[in-house]
Amino acid sequence: MALVVPPPNDKKRVKVYELRHNDWFDRGTGFCTGRVVGDESKIYVESEDQPDRTLLETRITKDDGYQKQQDTLIVWTESTGTDMALSFQEAEGCAAIWDFVSHVQQNLMAMAGPDDALSDDAMDNFANPLSLPRPELSNLDDIASLMRTVIATPQGRDSLSKLVISDDYIRKLVPIVTMAEDLESLDDLHHLCNIMKMLVLLNDTQIIEHVVTDDVVMGVVGALEYDPDFPTHKANHRRYLRDRSKFKEVVPIQDLAIKKKIHSTWRLLYLKDVVLARILDDPTFSVLNSLIFFNQVDIVSHLQGNTAFLEELFGIIDDPNAPHMRKKDAVCFIQTCCAIAKNIQAPGRQTLYANFIQNGLLRVINFALLNGDSSIRVAGTDILVAMIDHDASMVRAYIFRSIQDSKRPLTDTLIELLLIENDLGVKAQAADAIKVLLEPQQPPPPPNAETMARNSNNPEFLSKMRNNAASANPQIDSFIQNFYDNSASKLFRPLKDLEKRRPIVNLTFQEVSLFQHLIEILMFLIRYHLFRSKIFIFQEGLPARIAQLLACQHKHLQLTALKFFRTCIGLQDDSYIQQMTKNFLFEPILNIVYTTMPRDNLLNSVCLELFEYVKRENVKPVIMHVVENFREKLEEISYVDTFQSLILRYDQMQGYNAEADTTLFSQDSDGNPHRTSVNGNQRWQGVKEMDAAEEAYFNTSDDEDELANKKAATKRPSMSNGVSQAARSLVDYPDDEEESLDGQVGVMERMPIERLNAQAADENTKSSIPIASTPPLERLSEKRRREEDDEEDELGKLSTTKRRSSSVSSVSSGVSIGSNSSNVLRRKKGFTSSGKETTGGSNEKIKISLAGRTSADGEGKRDEGG
Amino acid sequence: MSDLDRAISDLRACKTIPEPAVHDLCHKARELLIEEGNVVQVDAPVTICGDIHGQFHDLMELFRVGGDVPETNYLFMGDFVDRGFYSLESFLLLLCLKVRYPDRITLIRGNHESRQITTVYGFYDECMRKYGSANVWRYCCEVFDYLALGALVLGTSATLEPAAGMDPEALAALPMPTGDEEVEIEIMNSRNEVTSRFPRNRRRPFENEGMAASPPTSPNHPAKTGPSGTAASGDSNGSLANSGGAVLCVHGGLSPLIETVDKIRLLDRKQEVPHEGAMCDLLWSDPDEIDGWGLSPRGAGFLFGSDIVKRFNHMNDLSLIARAHQLVMEGFKEMFDSSIVTVWSAPNYCYRCGNVAAILELGEDTTPGGVVARCNGDGRREGGTLEKSGLVGGPGRRYRVFEAAPQDPRGMPAKKPVADYFL
Repeated sequence: MALVVPPPNDKKRVKVYELRHNDWFDRGTGFCTGRVVGDESKIYVESEDQPDRTLLETRITKDDGYQKQQDTLIVWTESTGTDMALSFQEAEGCAAIWDFVSHVQQNLMAMAGPDDALSDDAMDNFANPLSLPRPELSNLDDIASLMRTVIATPQGRDSLSKLVISDDYIRKLVPIVTMAEDLESLDDLHHLCNIMKMLVLLNDTQIIEHVVTDDVVMGVVGALEYDPDFPTHKANHRRYLRDRSKFKEVVPIQDLAIKKKIHSTWRLLYLKDVVLARILDDPTFSVLNSLIFFNQVDIVSHLQGNTAFLEELFGIIDDPNAPHMRKKDAVCFIQTCCAIAKNIQAPGRQTLYANFIQNGLLRVINFALLNGDSSIRVAGTDILVAMIDHDASMVRAYIFRSIQDSKRPLTDTLIELLLIENDLGVKAQAADAIKVLLEPQQPPPPPNAETMARNSNNPEFLSKMRNNAASANPQIDSFIQNFYDNSASKLFRPLKDLEKRRPIVNLTFQEVSLFQHLIEILMFLIRYHLFRSKIFIFQEGLPARIAQLLACQHKHLQLTALKFFRTCIGLQDDSYIQQMTKNFLFEPILNIVYTTMPRDNLLNSVCLELFEYVKRENVKPVIMHVVENFREKLEEISYVDTFQSLILRYDQMQGYNAEADTTLFSQDSDGNPHRTSVNGNQRWQGVKEMDAAEEAYFNTSDDEDELANKKAATKRPSMSNGVSQAARSLVDYPDDEEESLDGQVGVMERMPIERLNAQAADENTKSSIPIASTPPLERLSEKRRREEDDEEDELGKLSTTKRRSSSVSSVSSGVSIGSNSSNVLRRKKGFTSSGKETTGGSNEKIKISLAGRTSADGEGKRDEGG
Repeated sequence: MSDLDRAISDLRACKTIPEPAVHDLCHKARELLIEEGNVVQVDAPVTICGDIHGQFHDLMELFRVGGDVPETNYLFMGDFVDRGFYSLESFLLLLCLKVRYPDRITLIRGNHESRQITTVYGFYDECMRKYGSANVWRYCCEVFDYLALGALVLGTSATLEPAAGMDPEALAALPMPTGDEEVEIEIMNSRNEVTSRFPRNRRRPFENEGMAASPPTSPNHPAKTGPSGTAASGDSNGSLANSGGAVLCVHGGLSPLIETVDKIRLLDRKQEVPHEGAMCDLLWSDPDEIDGWGLSPRGAGFLFGSDIVKRFNHMNDLSLIARAHQLVMEGFKEMFDSSIVTVWSAPNYCYRCGNVAAILELGEDTTPGGVVARCNGDGRREGGTLEKSGLVGGPGRRYRVFEAAPQDPRGMPAKKPVADYFL
């Protein structure tokens, strides 16, 4: 086999990426060589750290669809269907391997030539059937229509792309734009606009990269200013792009290539968001995003390794003479870097933060958080949240150290920020940050298939978890302990001080929002730190304080307070319930039901949901307490049957027999004779008399009422409860014991998170509970994505981006260029994933959204939207 | 001019309003929305709208076609934000109108009114671009949590009054049923011209109209002679009142966990849209040509078949379910013998889907005694009478179909570019 070029076997440093679950997974860094083994040509990558480990060994075939993107990236699809990418450190290395690949492919093609006449690439080798006339004002119309015909077929698109590049066709078009403008020839300008649109939508990476280069960009966007869809308008793209003041060069960037990259990235963004916003099809959108993503990663990677640059950048903050605006820009610059860093693979991000911290990132945060300018504070909390998201234990370690050095720890700053901050956005961010810092890493997440699957694909995460399990855990533990010892009472002081304020009137706006945050943090704590938080909350007598807020003027604060108690009850922890009953805290809740009763408003619904939960879960102490103390009140509430059912439950628990309370039992539909006799002797057995069907119902179903269920049960003979009831009463004792253990005594010890989570899932309140099972890494990968087929929303798409807690979500406000661009080389995801099984789609052909494969694109528009 | 009126006029011009004004507005809106039940009761007449998706100029077109607030009562079924380039202006305008005319406009929650979804599909980015921080996004998300989950339209009329301002000559020229025949469905275009009419209780000639895909597949229910039934009872043939029955509006559809409308009242809606459960289903489910319930390819919510809808409507004395959530090229689509309709109000969705949009007008029943107190499907009614009684006839429905707004007078729709860049 004669090769035109010798295989490049000097080593090229390269990163190997593999597309897994729509994320580019970093297989590692190593050295790349091309080799000919026998009559096969292969690309090898050997690991940098362990030279005997092969990161990649792939045979080059003629139809793997190798693509070179930018100067340093080669992307292809393995014969197994896996998408791979090699990201070279040096452009020359990339070029060498690329030459090797192309030549191997050409040889293969030539060999296959005669019997593979259909291959259009092979055809291209013989003759390019397409040619375009040199553009002139007179033939623009023809060129446009020719192109329109050509792009109708995938082959046509391919040859057109090749021709445009080899001919440098765009450069020939650029002068025509000015000519047509000078002549005010609108028709020609419209033709030019159409031509440019078609060229961009060819979706060829090389073309797209070319159009944003200095030489042609103005011509291209100039033509695109004259959109025939808007014949009476002219856009001002050139003016916008020429405005150099938009580029904030906080510290001069010496490397010209990087600087160039910054500009072209910005142009790509502008192209994506403004110039082409309406006309972009999804594949082109993905290509633009992927270009932007790789550019940004390159830029940030370059900068974070540039010591001189970093010193100058961070020096601005420490420089007492630097003007305010310059400091602000420096903070915003760092904020931008951190936002982009979210999309970088973990090891790269690790180095970035390490370098930043070494240069004084935490000083920057301190500076920003205490700054008088609220926009700087916003940026500061953003950076902090990004850093905590990246690695909370790192931040905890830092705080720990400052505690040991008896310096003011960051936690205190955050608490102060939350307590006194006027900017509500900063306040919210501070509250989020506190929660994340206090999140124990180790609540054993339920063996959730989804997380398992994701984790197992991510060895970095696993190793991180292992490390954490070994070392970080005691640290988190003492961190949390330290919080309760030193900070918690400071944080919740305003709540505690409510004791002196009765009745609660004249809450200021700031206070209302503060109380909301505090209660939300408290809800978080009682879920995550079962024991410590309980001790603290009882010591401080917080439930009674929060109950005061149940009667305040502000309905949304009442609502938050209600939710706190709902959370307490949801824990099914006797001590919380005792607190509530002892202090008669159900009274204000019932009062809310009363005051809102005729109306069917949100407060009312939340109260009803609370009592429905008590009924459904048969939370006996609550039923006992409420019925014993407020029976009349309950009886008066007749517009829903929840409260009657509670009374009924209570009476059953008391073992009232049928004669004593026939009216109530007659409601009980099936009037089962076993019921009373079993019951009569056994107090406290309320729940046990449920038949299996009913029990299953209460365990699974949410929103149906007892009555309806019983009716349903009687209608379905297979589920009739008579038989099981009888059978059950014979073997009742062991069951009873088990259940009472489970239901009551055992709660404290056996309450673990699994149960919490299971409950949460049951209850519909899931999203307000921080999702413990979401590994921290995943959260970071919160990314903007746009799939080829995104006419349809799939919650499944989001499953990998599931954020910790939606209602308290700490979406760090990344600067927009960062937030848009990530993770773009991705496949369309089938309808798999997400907690639910799905039927459709999993067998659907996965389409690649990488550059260039324009052939099959553009279809798949579904009828679904919204 | 009050702050609110100023905000409205700025927003109508598609200008953003300052962050403190947004905060103020969201705060006021929250106070209002907290008073609403999970299912808001709305009296006819009302115009029901589907997804808007940040297509501000098309929302303006919608108001032009359907009448402005407060002259027309509106009910928007969610998905105000994401995908379009003006989510912020669209949502804030609707919110302003809600605060200004609380009884004239009802907003319910769509699956895009969620933190998680908006970070992926554009609203979050838009807020970041337009304000430079996520604060405004936070305020809006807080409001999302307060939005009602559904609405119940009462007091609808079974007959259609002629639309205001319609040219009688044009009407006479239509090859449509005239005289005594009662019109059940009327389709109008954006120039206020009737394009089709369908009489009640007749096999409708859709195929002949070249609209096969759009309205009802066919009315299979037995022909009735009297006016349509009231919603108060199942066997309503011959009832004297002219009510079109109650219409339930939700963004997505039904939930296997919700048997009666009243069960929706027992949900705690003040939360991020969960990934499962009744609240999630109401916002995510879709009707489909299946029996019973099916798994949804969306990964949330369910698919539900004709039997489910008919049973639900029967149990709850509903004549129709109106929902949005799915793009329909014709703007609206009635399914399952007109027991459920999808209304889609974002023309040329994503600026390139090429679909038309529609809004659904339900008239007010003005006959004496026409408004019948309804019982909210409390489960007392025995099942199994479905076949016997037939379905409630349904309200008279006027669909106004419209296309994307003519060009934005100030230029081409686009996202706001990044102001400054560092990298």
